[in-house]
Amino acid sequence: MGIPITYTEQELVQALKERNNQAFGFLYDNYAGALYSIIKQIVTDNPESAGDVLQEVFINIWRKIDTYDPTKGRLFTWMLNIARNASIDMLRSKGYQNAKKNQELPENVYREAANQAILQHVDSIGLKKLLEKLRPEHRILVELAYFKGFTHEEIAEIVGIPLGTVKTRIRNALQQLREYLK
Amino acid sequence: MNVQEYIESGIIESYVMGLASESERAEFERLCREYPELVTARRRFEEKLEGYASENAEVPPPDVKMKVLEAVKSFSMEPPRKPEPQPARMAVLPRLVAAASIVLLLGMGFLYYQTRQENEVLTRSNDRLKLSLDTTREILKRIADEQKDVVKNPDVTVVSMIGTQVAPRSSANVYWDSARSDVYLVVKNMPMLPSDQQYQLWALIDSKPKDLGVFDATDDKVILKMKNTQKAQAFAITIEKKGGSPSPTLQRMQSIGRTMQSQ
Repeated sequence: MGIPITYTEQELVQALKERNNQAFGFLYDNYAGALYSIIKQIVTDNPESAGDVLQEVFINIWRKIDTYDPTKGRLFTWMLNIARNASIDMLRSKGYQNAKKNQELPENVYREAANQAILQHVDSIGLKKLLEKLRPEHRILVELAYFKGFTHEEIAEIVGIPLGTVKTRIRNALQQLREYLK
Repeated sequence: MNVQEYIESGIIESYVMGLASESERAEFERLCREYPELVTARRRFEEKLEGYASENAEVPPPDVKMKVLEAVKSFSMEPPRKPEPQPARMAVLPRLVAAASIVLLLGMGFLYYQTRQENEVLTRSNDRLKLSLDTTREILKRIADEQKDVVKNPDVTVVSMIGTQVAPRSSANVYWDSARSDVYLVVKNMPMLPSDQQYQLWALIDSKPKDLGVFDATDDKVILKMKNTQKAQAFAITIEKKGGSPSPTLQRMQSIGRTMQSQ
């Protein structure tokens, strides 16, 4: 039996579902860098935490590969969302701990997050770099939604604008992002 | 529905980037089955996003791959689709419960075993008692039948033996079938004798004694078949040496009963 060097996405998914270790190694080598970049854009405070999240993400990919449904999106999209969710979970657990430690009220946590969202663009990488091209009032909303994991309702409360406006602006911002991706 | 408008609404980006709400996701997935152009547009954005992410990839810490592959290797030993193992902290209580269950189970098993053993012993003992009871009943039935035969037979004469002055309380009944010459003795109350002595029953025929056999005081409540005699004016019981004597020791006569033939 020959050793495949590359896989089509379909072959790769099939091999992963068969718990093929070699295919999993291939998956890591080809996607770990891209996912690590996203994780780092969300878990910004500590590179070690980002490494822990990456490890957790790949273990989850291995475990949950049977739940991947190709009709709902590409394999990378599925993995990207796992990485984003795991990163936000990490962020939330830390945010929660800090909030408890400092005896802060939840509103202050949101405000802190909003401030960070505005200030962080200085050393932006990856998608965040794209965000800099957006108008600031759009950028903040995408930051809070995508990189901080807040719901539209929470964002409306943090920023103090109507929920409908939040939705429209985020949709528009994402549309813009798509243009920049070209 | 205007598909192009829907595509331009930003729903595709929201969906792919995981920012769409639950209802928005469900609606988008439903419409994807209806409109292939939605799927095409979605794929185009996914590829763009993937391409951009790959271009902006960063080298992860080198130890992560090794850790991941090691963790995965240990999962490979398990069959796929196994539920995710709980964190150790969470697993303590279930383990305790499991351990307690096993102890309880073993305890119950032992109790069951013990009870079963005891039950077996009791069952065997019960069987023995039942057998013994059956045997006893059988004997009693036979005795009752014999007695009925003796008592109901019109040819049988009952001779009540009355205690003499030497032994006023001694009493026994002799059933004498004059037609067939059968003699039965029922001991009602005879004092216990030393082990070297026995009671002996005599028939007195024309004032001469005839040996009808020996018996013990312990032979009470049963019918003893004695030796036959065609004739007897009286019956007498004497105390003799064990095994009986050829002639009665009359001074030790315990009881005597006269028959109709004595007249």
